[in-house]
Amino acid sequence: MITAHKQPLSPHLQIYRPQLTSMMSILHRATGVFLSLGTLVMAYWLIAAAKGPEAYQQAQSLLGSWVGLLLLFGWSFSLFYHLCNGIRHLFWDAGLGTDIKTAYTTGKLVWVVTFILTALTWLLAFSMTGGG
Amino acid sequence: MVQFTLPTDSAVKKGRIVNKLDGVKNVKKFKIYRYDPETVDNPRIDTYEVDLDNCGPMVLDALIKIKDEIDPTLTFRRSCREGICGSCAMNIGGTIGGTNTLACTKPIADINGTVKVYPLPHSEVLKDLVPDLTHFHTQYTSISPWLQTQTQPPPDREILQSKEDRALLDGLYECILCACCSTSCPSYWWNGERFLGPAVLLQAYRWIVDSRDEMTGDRLDNVEDPFRLYRCHTIMNCTNTCPKNLNPAKAIVEIKKMLVRRR
Amino acid sequence: MDNLRTPLSRVRLWGSAREGTNTFIAQRLTAIALVPLLLWFVAVVIFLIVKADYVTFVSWIRSSWNTELLILLILVSFHHAHAGLHEVVEDYVHNEIIKAITMVSMKFLVIGIAVASVLAVLQIALGG
Repeated sequence: MITAHKQPLSPHLQIYRPQLTSMMSILHRATGVFLSLGTLVMAYWLIAAAKGPEAYQQAQSLLGSWVGLLLLFGWSFSLFYHLCNGIRHLFWDAGLGTDIKTAYTTGKLVWVVTFILTALTWLLAFSMTGGG
Repeated sequence: MVQFTLPTDSAVKKGRIVNKLDGVKNVKKFKIYRYDPETVDNPRIDTYEVDLDNCGPMVLDALIKIKDEIDPTLTFRRSCREGICGSCAMNIGGTIGGTNTLACTKPIADINGTVKVYPLPHSEVLKDLVPDLTHFHTQYTSISPWLQTQTQPPPDREILQSKEDRALLDGLYECILCACCSTSCPSYWWNGERFLGPAVLLQAYRWIVDSRDEMTGDRLDNVEDPFRLYRCHTIMNCTNTCPKNLNPAKAIVEIKKMLVRRR
Repeated sequence: MDNLRTPLSRVRLWGSAREGTNTFIAQRLTAIALVPLLLWFVAVVIFLIVKADYVTFVSWIRSSWNTELLILLILVSFHHAHAGLHEVVEDYVHNEIIKAITMVSMKFLVIGIAVASVLAVLQIALGG
């Protein structure tokens, strides 16, 4: 067909309604990528420890700084979210809970458990350091 | 890199306010995507006002009323007006965005405020609300959507199937190929050239699971591909939007399970 | 050029790769293994490492099973991370050259960091 204007592409992301399922899916991916970056820090921390007490102390104080703690908080949230939602995915892959009603229920459950685990982790961590 | 924005020649411009209703009690605003291939203009959004007291209950009723009484140039596909032909699949919604559905079974009353109507997402638009579905239909062709056997069927009766095996086709055979699910899937948006998408994969499973078919292994071979099948990340937009309440995500999961089991 | 191909030629293209299932299984297996490993790791980080000085930390790594579990955690999580990143690149990067460069360098990088981490653990565990 000859047209005066190239056939346009219809709007997609711009107009599609965000839904619990799709938003949790993209967040699963985002947290996964963020956690992959976190493995770099784990590597740095282990290598520092291998180098000796000074390097280790430096790594510990870097992670204990405000920026370090903020990143650690981000990683802990990402970890628990990715873990919980990952389990949800494993159930789906086994063919369980793929109907929309269950997918929404488990989706909300993932949020609740993620928040509880993240909060619990930091409460425990701060209580260990004596109020930090 | 995949383009997440619209190309410049597809950017949607502000359109016209086509009509205004005065002294009418029950007015509903419709903002509708328009594109005329005979002009050099980009797509635009035109605004119409419809008197709901003199209109049928469904979005398709309003579209037909607009075409009949206000603007005969408005173009869309429709046929059965009862959710069985799949022609009037489009993206319909309100302020927080739309989902794909059939205009004929979508009540206007479901939408608060202005009704926004777009063609199926991430498709090439032929005109207004009419997308080019050639690629989608060709992908459907590629999975051989018919019964394949080598054993000669008995001359005096049909190929038999147990009640249990027949029940496996429930939730699959009802698919009307309206393309709502496939064009709701972000993975299909970014990789639709190679990813078969939820509708075609549900159809593929419909033949894979049919006990009368003799080509099951070849069918599994045909979809076992990083792009054809494994672009599905269980995002669930498909199942969320299917106007026939089917579950393409589940059908895809079942294909993956069979592929794991045959290893 | 592709526009002159018939629609069916474009859809069939090079046929099916008959692949992807092993990748799919590996991603799930590593995911399952990571559930207990990560819970263990988080508990360890909270209870031991938050306030641990160098000596406690080193002796913890050296104590039985911890070395093994830590190395296991490193290997499995890098494998899983690579599977996920690979999928992301497959989804979003369409330019064949950029895709090839990204995939190859990503693989080298992941293996390199995994090896460095494991060596660090071994150095602590065995070194004096």
